Amino acid sequence: MATAAPLLELRGISKQFPGVCALDQVSFPIYAGEVNMLLGENGAGKSTLMKVLYGAYRADAGDFLYHGRTLAIGSPADARTLGIAVIFQEFSLVPFLDIAHNIFLGREPYRIVPGLIDHRAMHAEARKVLDLLGMEYDTRTLVHRLGVAQQQLVEIAKAVSQNARILVMDEPTAALSERETARLFALIRQLKREGVAIVYISHRLAEVFALGDRITVLRDGRKVATLLPSATTPDELVHLMVGRAVDTTYARNFCDQPGELALQVQGLASDQGISGVDLELRAGEIVGLAGLVGSGRTEVARAIFGADKVTAGTVRVYGEPLAGGPNIAARRGVALIPENRKQEGLALIRSVQDNLLLASLAKLFPRIWFRPADGRRACMETIDELRIATPSPLRLVRYLSGGNQQKIVIGKWLKAGCRLFIFDEPTRGIDVGAKAEIFNLIGELVKSGAAVLMISSELLEIVHVCDRAYVMRDKRIAGHLERGELSEPNILRLAMHHE
Amino acid sequence: MNDAISADGAPRGSGSRIAAAPGVAYILVIMVLVFGALSKDFLSAPNLLNVGMQSAILLMIALPMTLIIISEGLDISLGAVLTLASVVLALILARGGGLALALAAAVGVGLVFGLANGLLVSLIKMPPFVATLGTFGMAQGLALAVTDGQSVVGLGESLESIYAGSLLGVPAPLAFALGAYAVTHGLLYHTRFGGYVFAIGGNREALVLAGVRAHWHHVGVYVFGGLMAGVAALLLTSRMNAGHPTAAIGMEFDAIVAVAVGGTSFERGDGWLFGTVLGVMAVGVLRNGLNLLGVASSLQVVSIGLLVIVALLIDGFKRRA
Repeated sequence: MATAAPLLELRGISKQFPGVCALDQVSFPIYAGEVNMLLGENGAGKSTLMKVLYGAYRADAGDFLYHGRTLAIGSPADARTLGIAVIFQEFSLVPFLDIAHNIFLGREPYRIVPGLIDHRAMHAEARKVLDLLGMEYDTRTLVHRLGVAQQQLVEIAKAVSQNARILVMDEPTAALSERETARLFALIRQLKREGVAIVYISHRLAEVFALGDRITVLRDGRKVATLLPSATTPDELVHLMVGRAVDTTYARNFCDQPGELALQVQGLASDQGISGVDLELRAGEIVGLAGLVGSGRTEVARAIFGADKVTAGTVRVYGEPLAGGPNIAARRGVALIPENRKQEGLALIRSVQDNLLLASLAKLFPRIWFRPADGRRACMETIDELRIATPSPLRLVRYLSGGNQQKIVIGKWLKAGCRLFIFDEPTRGIDVGAKAEIFNLIGELVKSGAAVLMISSELLEIVHVCDRAYVMRDKRIAGHLERGELSEPNILRLAMHHE
Repeated sequence: MNDAISADGAPRGSGSRIAAAPGVAYILVIMVLVFGALSKDFLSAPNLLNVGMQSAILLMIALPMTLIIISEGLDISLGAVLTLASVVLALILARGGGLALALAAAVGVGLVFGLANGLLVSLIKMPPFVATLGTFGMAQGLALAVTDGQSVVGLGESLESIYAGSLLGVPAPLAFALGAYAVTHGLLYHTRFGGYVFAIGGNREALVLAGVRAHWHHVGVYVFGGLMAGVAALLLTSRMNAGHPTAAIGMEFDAIVAVAVGGTSFERGDGWLFGTVLGVMAVGVLRNGLNLLGVASSLQVVSIGLLVIVALLIDGFKRRA
């Protein structure tokens, strides 16, 4: 079945972002009539590679060879002309247009005058594509009325209807039920027979072996291997994906004797889709919450903190039930340090001092009056304690480095006297040196008797920083790993579908 | 999980949502009943016709405002641009220029300001409120400057006859309003451009990834606003048979009210053009009814503010229910 030459070949693609090399000399051959699997853990560079392929990013170096000829893909429009269609993982749908118009967005059939949409033709064509996918919805339904699975199907219909020669699917089954998945697989097999090249990104190893004709593994922005499924095993793939060099700056003294129960979550479910979440956390412990992007880790943190609506289950903090929203959680000594610190955790255009005092105003100044001298003193203490590099407490936060910004977010809650910290991706966008300092800081927090729940996409961080970890998959806890079991392959096995 | 809602997909054309009547529809019915009971003149045919005529110009501003707001934008310069276009039109006529030239100049003023708004918002990525606040000041200032703050009169009779005239038995202002609605409806629901207006507000990234030049369509939304303001200037100037440098001050406020009351969302890329018509009627009925009851115009502004809040409250409750 292997064709002689690939239809499209990406050669030596490199892409640099400020501070990170997202892709380093990656080559990826795409064969017509095959399902070309792309594998890799979080941050391995799969999405970046696909964005380069689709013209959403421009590569810093490298070539595209189409039928052996070099060409450039500089924009999504170029990619379309080449017959490349993408099923995006983050939905590229317009909520208040109907299904048919979403499928044909930018390619609306017109009658007489270009620009005047032929609604009848558009709905008829849309109907055909939906039938192919076994989707029974009226093509006039507005997309915002659809559930996640239906939206995913519309996304698939949109790409399929382009009669693409290269069809990229980024985790297309993540939101689909078994029946819909079976339909999709049947369609993929049919497209393959018609000579379409399919690029398929998945975290489900079962799918990789069920569908894949060729498997390319990425790790740290580099290509590790291109293999045939018949010549490999699930275990080998997991090892190819992890095997990253160990960085010893994370080493810490682990907690031998955890203290009292700091957090007890039972059967937690929220309106964001998580359900049946059980976890426990003791004072003095750093417990990891691992899982792939989208597995529901952030949603668990938000539900505990009361930022999302809890639909079932209980949360107890130091023995007392907690419910009622972020203000109550904060008052009870729970701190959530969000993933997106620029949007949720910091006021960038305010000073270091303003940010540090924000969460603790009520505690420092129980009466109405704000006493500037006391505020300044508390703020200077925190700056020293956390070694925040700032020329003055009045410096605007936006001028500080990512690491220092993160310390301010932590410092904000430290001053508020918190005893339970939830960190969501505490080291995202932070350089290596600052990372070590953040971990030292987290280490000091637990030494002083606090409890820490740490969400991270970096498997190594979980392995080296956490006392133990819970692993999530599909919005549920998939398993729990004790200190001795904590390793990258073990986490990945739980995080990926490994039926 | 969502199989239960499969059959009730609301088509996007007008009329389909009347079943799910928005808050403004209830308010309109209640207002008509109350004003009809309190004032015997209110329900008379001449008065109702009067309400429709007076609302025509507002509708011509509110229609493009709907598109602008669907695209997650705002244009607070429209009232001032309408005013400037009106005094330019009046000045040309007063100096002996032909009606065609005057109308072309008025439309030109609208297009220039629309283009400026569109470029500032779409290409320079200025927040729409700030960008149009700037052009609002410029248009209003220019309208005062070119007229020395005085009304422009002596325009002859050619203009006056437009407002008083009729087309196939329909009074001219209503004919203008119907025409403007038909054009805007066709644009929003039957052209690619209209679909892209929803996309710019709902998910601009999707449009870019579909290979559409989203930024030019985004500019087009504001240009359409300017164009409609230019055409509306003809009606406005003709109604007064004069150019007043403060003629349409605050009309953008009424237009935004009408759009909001009509059920168009300010942040989701959701909108309903016919709802805006209902919104304009609600504003018109409210002003007219309060006039008949002898309520001071300052209190009328208060009641229009109240109208927005009540209409949105009703919609909010309905969405939760």
